Amino acid sequence: MSAFLNTPSKDAWLANMAQTDRDVDLVRRMAGGDERALRELYAAYGQRMYAYALRLVEDPAVAQDVVQDALIAAWRDARKFRGEGRVVAWLLGMVHHLSFKALRRRPLPLGEELENGLPSGAAAPEELAQASQQSAWVREGLRRLSPEHRAALELVFYQGLALEEAAEVCGCPLGTLKSRLSYARQHLRGILSRQAVEDWL
Amino acid sequence: MNHTVEESMLVRYAAGQLSTAERAALEQHLAGCAECRADLALWRMVAEETGAASRAIAAPPQLAERALARIQAPSGAGRGLARAWMLLRAQALLVQREIWPANAAVMALAIVVALISGQTGVVYFVAPLLAAASLAALSGQENDPAFELTAAAPTSAWKILLARLSVVSAYNLLLALAAIGLLLAFAPPGLLGVAALGWLAPMACLSALALLLSLWLGTGNALLIAYALWIFQYLPYQHLDAWMAASFWTPAVMAWRLFWQSPQWTIAAALAALGAALWSAGRPGVHHSRQ
Repeated sequence: MSAFLNTPSKDAWLANMAQTDRDVDLVRRMAGGDERALRELYAAYGQRMYAYALRLVEDPAVAQDVVQDALIAAWRDARKFRGEGRVVAWLLGMVHHLSFKALRRRPLPLGEELENGLPSGAAAPEELAQASQQSAWVREGLRRLSPEHRAALELVFYQGLALEEAAEVCGCPLGTLKSRLSYARQHLRGILSRQAVEDWL
Repeated sequence: MNHTVEESMLVRYAAGQLSTAERAALEQHLAGCAECRADLALWRMVAEETGAASRAIAAPPQLAERALARIQAPSGAGRGLARAWMLLRAQALLVQREIWPANAAVMALAIVVALISGQTGVVYFVAPLLAAASLAALSGQENDPAFELTAAAPTSAWKILLARLSVVSAYNLLLALAAIGLLLAFAPPGLLGVAALGWLAPMACLSALALLLSLWLGTGNALLIAYALWIFQYLPYQHLDAWMAASFWTPAVMAWRLFWQSPQWTIAAALAALGAALWSAGRPGVHHSRQ
């Protein structure tokens, strides 16, 4: 996914530029009403869009609606795309906006928060007892983060966006994004150290 | 402890976003800083878990087709119409059920009276009153079995009010038209032409007014005021001479009658009242707080 970022090299950079050209071309074709371009765009970025939406809204049906609406928005806004950033960031920005809109619309956000705050059955006890217990606790900690914080982590670590791009997708200043990352680290550190104490006892 | 390293460097390192030079500089710092090493270890775990969770998600294959179907299919107006229709249908089921038979019964009574007395004006007199009554009872806690539900629904209050308004008004209109149709079978059509169209504008005006008043004052008060306003034009002012000079009453009642008989004024008033009612529908403190 973000392989070119993991090995910064000239080849990867060239591949990245070729990808950018192809993406801009896709958007231009969409602006011209070419429906195949939308299918190609979805083939290229559908997984990333859907994964991002699902990680934010945590409901497959809602995530599907979000991605569908994002594709329609991309189709309608294709004309307005000025090529200032990467196409993938543009798409993720729409997914982000629509996901949070969907989260705000949820009938009982309070119940959802509560559920998120409670230890879930996602991490089974036997799993925690094994060698991978630390990552199991990290997973659990990630689940309990607020969507804003999860969004920051997703954008940087899975979507491979630069911090500036991630801030743009979130629609917040770079400083806010950095403090969200910082908060996420403290939160996870807290969970891990609490767990370490419990293991000792 | 010498913390020259920003946290974002660790994040970018774990995400594999550092250039070779940046990486070398950071690794030099890491060698001497246990705290940063611990943080980096955590960030690596986060990177791994985040990546693993998202990679495991498969995108549904049909989303592009579904989006295209919606892009091609109906125009914005068509979709809007479809949504409006859904809303109308839903609200028709939620409006107080008594409205339907009660209005029909009153209208039937008016027809009978009109036929017996030979005065088609009865329908002209009754239709606006009926419409006003049903619209005054359209919204609010005291009348709406689904009030809580409606208040919590994502569709805005004014849209719901508009939907109900349309449903009930259309029903009232049909009733009145049916009444006229029935009368047409019995009465000389010459007179009816005027009567048939005469009540339309007053009906719209009076019911819009009743709706607006009901939002602010409650159903009962709204009805009282609306009925008083309507009946005032039938005031036998000649007999009020003793109480107040006819020189005052005659022009007042005449002007009032003239108002109800000039469609341009009544329609304008109806639109103004309707606009105000829709505007105030979603506002907090408007009647909803009334018990």
